[in-house]
Amino acid sequence: MIRYLAQRLALAVVVLAGLLVMAFVMVQILPGDPARAAAGRNATAEQVEAARVALGLDEPVIQQFWRFIGRVFQGDLGTSVFTHQPVLQDIAAVLPSSLELVAAAMIINIVVAVPLGVFAAYRRGRAADVAARLLALLGAALPVFWLGLLLQLFFAGTLKWLPLYGQIGFGMDVPTITGATTIDALLSGDPAAFGSSLVYLILPAITLSASFIAVIARTVRSSMITALDSDYVALARATGASEFRVVVRHGLRNALIPMSTILGMQLGWMLGTTVLVESTFNRTGIGAYMVTAVLQTDIYPVIGSIIVIGIVFIVTNFVVDLLQLWINPRLRDSAWVRRRPAAGIPVAAQAGLTPAGSVGGVR
Amino acid sequence: MTALLEISGLRVSYPGVDEPVEVVHGVDLVVPQGRKVALVGESGSGKSVTARSVLQLDPDATIAGSIRLGGQELVGAAPKIVRGIRGSGAGLVFQDPLTSLNPVMRIGWQIMQPLVIRGVSKKEARERGIALLDRLGVVNAAARFDDYPHQFSGGMRQRVVIAIAIIAEPALLIADEPTTALDVQVQAQVLELLHEVADERGMGVLLITHDLAIVAGFADDVVVMRHGEVVESAPVDELFAAPKHPYTRGLLGAIPRLDSDPSVRLTSVADYVDTFETVDDEPAAPAAENGAAR
Amino acid sequence: MTALLPARLRPSSSPRRAPRRRRRGVPVAERIALVVVVLIIVIAIIGPWIAPYDPYRVDLAQALQPPSAAHWFGTDVNGRDVLSRVLVGAQVTLSATGIVLLITLVIGVIVGTVAALGGRVVDEVLMRITDIGLALPSIILALGFAVALGPGLQSAVVAIAATWWPGYARLVRSIVRETRHAEFVESAVALGVSRWRLVTKHILPNSLDPMYVQVTLDVAAVMLVISGLSFVGVGAQVPSAEWGAMIASAADNVLNGWWALVFPGLAIAITAIAFNLSGDWLRVRQDPTLRDGGAR
Repeated sequence: MIRYLAQRLALAVVVLAGLLVMAFVMVQILPGDPARAAAGRNATAEQVEAARVALGLDEPVIQQFWRFIGRVFQGDLGTSVFTHQPVLQDIAAVLPSSLELVAAAMIINIVVAVPLGVFAAYRRGRAADVAARLLALLGAALPVFWLGLLLQLFFAGTLKWLPLYGQIGFGMDVPTITGATTIDALLSGDPAAFGSSLVYLILPAITLSASFIAVIARTVRSSMITALDSDYVALARATGASEFRVVVRHGLRNALIPMSTILGMQLGWMLGTTVLVESTFNRTGIGAYMVTAVLQTDIYPVIGSIIVIGIVFIVTNFVVDLLQLWINPRLRDSAWVRRRPAAGIPVAAQAGLTPAGSVGGVR
Repeated sequence: MTALLEISGLRVSYPGVDEPVEVVHGVDLVVPQGRKVALVGESGSGKSVTARSVLQLDPDATIAGSIRLGGQELVGAAPKIVRGIRGSGAGLVFQDPLTSLNPVMRIGWQIMQPLVIRGVSKKEARERGIALLDRLGVVNAAARFDDYPHQFSGGMRQRVVIAIAIIAEPALLIADEPTTALDVQVQAQVLELLHEVADERGMGVLLITHDLAIVAGFADDVVVMRHGEVVESAPVDELFAAPKHPYTRGLLGAIPRLDSDPSVRLTSVADYVDTFETVDDEPAAPAAENGAAR
Repeated sequence: MTALLPARLRPSSSPRRAPRRRRRGVPVAERIALVVVVLIIVIAIIGPWIAPYDPYRVDLAQALQPPSAAHWFGTDVNGRDVLSRVLVGAQVTLSATGIVLLITLVIGVIVGTVAALGGRVVDEVLMRITDIGLALPSIILALGFAVALGPGLQSAVVAIAATWWPGYARLVRSIVRETRHAEFVESAVALGVSRWRLVTKHILPNSLDPMYVQVTLDVAAVMLVISGLSFVGVGAQVPSAEWGAMIASAADNVLNGWWALVFPGLAIAITAIAFNLSGDWLRVRQDPTLRDGGAR
């Protein structure tokens, strides 16, 4: 168990280190002279030089790299030229809104995909199986933003059931406490605002979940098939266990192992896909923040967002690794872990190149 | 002696590419109360399919004929009745203990399951489970009850599987090649254990095997199957002493024996099957030589 | 018949397997997909010649006309013919996708080969770099490169290529490592063939099969990222008929002109489905064990 934990922790550290190196390289290759930018438009040559020294830009690259790492660990991700705010502060303000969207999408993802995968496995070759395959085909082919617009067209335009886009109903306002509108509405004791923000969350969440559902459904299907065909399920049946018990306690319980790993990766990828969904639905969030920054050629917010999303990704994967200890008892046995085929980096990477949508979302 | 399991005219077919393929063609078989019957044949002879059709575990299979367990007709019976006899009417032990146990559930949970789904309290199920595991020779059963399957060796796992199969006290135990996947030493132990436990509980046993060598010390009666049909059926001593069917003679001739002359090639079943059409031309010598002992 | 029995009737085999039909040749869906792929490529080449109108001519008097005999797909908010723009857009979108995949392939082959044939340290370093690239969504990393390059289709292409190669590097590395020990390679080594010649003449040509499958499968994924970047304004810029950019300019009028939005999206979706189905078919044809709904 300790070996397993050490393995996974080391992995997280390696990925984090790689992420920081990449972020640093990105900052380095950016065109323009940061010293000149910092000194101001009308600065003299001496002032630019002074700024260069002040920023440490005259030092060797390695030195600069360590300073960069040091700053990141202190939470200094630079300052946005556009908002004139520290990047971390900006991200802290918008991230909860994205997390709220991701959480809602995750719920839809699980609620739809798991039963679908189970039925597809249980009734192989029949309706649920065909539906799962169709969903997989569409999930990997429909542009996320286009799907969002179609949903707007249908549910907001034609049916008028749901609002077109935005965060909360017109005229409603909730104080910013966490930054996640639904939670802020709850905290401020405003049920009407809570209901409204929830209604505004529906379409974006469906849009965001759409390309991820098929992957989970397929994972559940294939591990359910393995389980349902196994001797232990036949043995359970032979002792008189009901079909429900066989499917849930034996099949689904085993399907949890691969499913949780992929759900963990999907969380990070969903956060990335908010780039498209938040633009489509005019919501605030880290995706919209990144897009704005790119369009303003505002470097630090973009790099900072990549670092934050990367860290969220690394942390969720590590949490899932911990969860695996509970889900998969074999991992607690160090002898078994050692015998197991090498546990590589994230599953998708381990598999090398996988077909489009191996995790879901836009790659 | 009343019949515990009575199979007559059993036909089993599976959906094929174009039309159903019949793999068991009218099998008759009786397991009397408390007796041990060995169902012997090569792989593909339909012996497993016959045995598993008692519990109707394969929804693809179409079953015709009659299967009576304790007087209750099972062919065409309501699913509820079939499920009712699973575990408490007849228990099943599989070949491979490595795959017969759910890897993510504690073995205790799996042993208790047949009782729990029959409404026995968790506490009582646990006590009975530990007692049974102890009887089956698992050392320190109470402490190991909450372990996971991967923490057990193959032989120990097969004991756990047996516990699962018999904890709901079935009158019949169907053991489908229960020792094939085990080490030779462990094989003997597990067979011995099955024998003892069956006698203690007055349980009838249907042992499916391809290995005539293990039949002699275990079974009371032997049924030999080939190509989905029963070719011979006799009490064990009779069969070993004077096998009537050339195929049976072939099976007996294929058993390696410690006391046989190593310079003499083992006969294969095929040697006998070639003479299948000419049953009367006795190729008696090798069969008599190898089969007469025990 | 007996030969058929054991495998089919192994009791532990699936209790619920639908009867499987024997497949001969190309299944219907895949056959259609292959035809569509060819059709799309043809359109991408001749699109500008068959477009009924000038895809860039603004005519505000004709703005947001619904589909009609004159404008099969209607007109957009600037009065441009949507059909013409979709036809021309095929060239824009697919050529951008093609360039991304081409750059990706080149970098992937170089990095993968170097990792496979270089020393342990080189391999380790290169593979850790690919780990990062594979861990994060390409669109996020591409934004990082795009901010340096400034908005535009070219920078989107470069940015995506810069984030897409790690998968190919891994693929090439594993293939090269495998083929390195193949008999024909070992005999070439025995004959004293140089390392460079070995790689270019013996190993790589034999690595191509899995790669063109992957490229086919990646067309859809790359196209989705390109159109996504164009949609948020980072990729193709305003008058361009790139499909994602077309959707972006129609997005402001979701409720007034569905056609300007629906048709370019359909073009993306149909192209993606056709390439994915074709890629799956190629993959299965290469590795028949993947049949029956994907082993993944």
